[in-house]
Amino acid sequence: MSLQNMLLALYESDLSLWIRQNPPVFPTIESFHVIAIALVFGTILIVDLRLIGFAAHRRSIDKLITELLPVTWGAFALAVVTGLLMFVANAPAYMNNAQFLWKMVVIAAAGINMMIFHATIYRRIADWDVMIPPPNAARTAGVLSITLWLTVIYLGRWIGFTLDTFF
Amino acid sequence: MSIQTFSQWLYATPLAVAFREMVWFIPTVQTIHILAIAILVGAALVSNLRLAGIIATDEAPAAVVRRYLPWMGPALIVLLSTGLLLVIAEPGRTLGNTVFWVKMVLVLSGFALTRGFQKPALALQPVGAAPVALAKPAAWLSLAVWAAVIFCGRFIAYT
Repeated sequence: MSLQNMLLALYESDLSLWIRQNPPVFPTIESFHVIAIALVFGTILIVDLRLIGFAAHRRSIDKLITELLPVTWGAFALAVVTGLLMFVANAPAYMNNAQFLWKMVVIAAAGINMMIFHATIYRRIADWDVMIPPPNAARTAGVLSITLWLTVIYLGRWIGFTLDTFF
Repeated sequence: MSIQTFSQWLYATPLAVAFREMVWFIPTVQTIHILAIAILVGAALVSNLRLAGIIATDEAPAAVVRRYLPWMGPALIVLLSTGLLLVIAEPGRTLGNTVFWVKMVLVLSGFALTRGFQKPALALQPVGAAPVALAKPAAWLSLAVWAAVIFCGRFIAYT
């Protein structure tokens, strides 16, 4: 089955029809998506700013990460689920939308930035856990993370203005 | 002058026309609006979860709230100014919309709760200090109010 056929099959699925045919459903999904974004970006920003060297309520970065990361991940999961539901409602249109595709690329880049952080400087966290300012590698990861998530949100907002299908 | 005539007048002003003609303007202002919401929600989340006794219970409530409360005022200012720009650009979508006014009342309630419960918490120095009366339900209520504000914001576009 070609990609185009798969996208059309998704578009014609019961779930997709249900979302499109019931007017309050899509904005409700979007509202949860925005709540998820606010929680993801709000909590990541606190960690990133601490990584850059701004004080948080925890001096220890490791404590801060342990405390806030479950919220970030839970909210990210909600963003993915609600994002998938919006995609299902209009799969061919999203796949055809440059802003959506770039958004996925930048989310992947944010994930890679996080993995590099965890695989490198974070392994030696005990050496710089309470240091202000933190080492440059940590500060760079923080700046990159904020920049990438900002871009994700900007691209996301542009999808609403460029998506071909409005139902 | 009715709200409708005012909306029509505002819609036709050169400023509103200029805002709408710059295609990047509305998405960019909306993005800044969402970023400010994220900052507000992040600050409210950590402060209120501390006041509700969920996180950082080994830190004094004042130590937690002190870090995040100063972000909420500026975030509100950014939200109100970007919101105002969006109203000017598309008055019909907001001023005549009940959901918009419900959202405004909720924003006022959110900040009343913040002033009423987060500000007094600044005085709670010891880790085990007795919380301000009703602080816990107020903390959960505040988080619910911000979530409702986001819901209204999204539904403005559909009503």
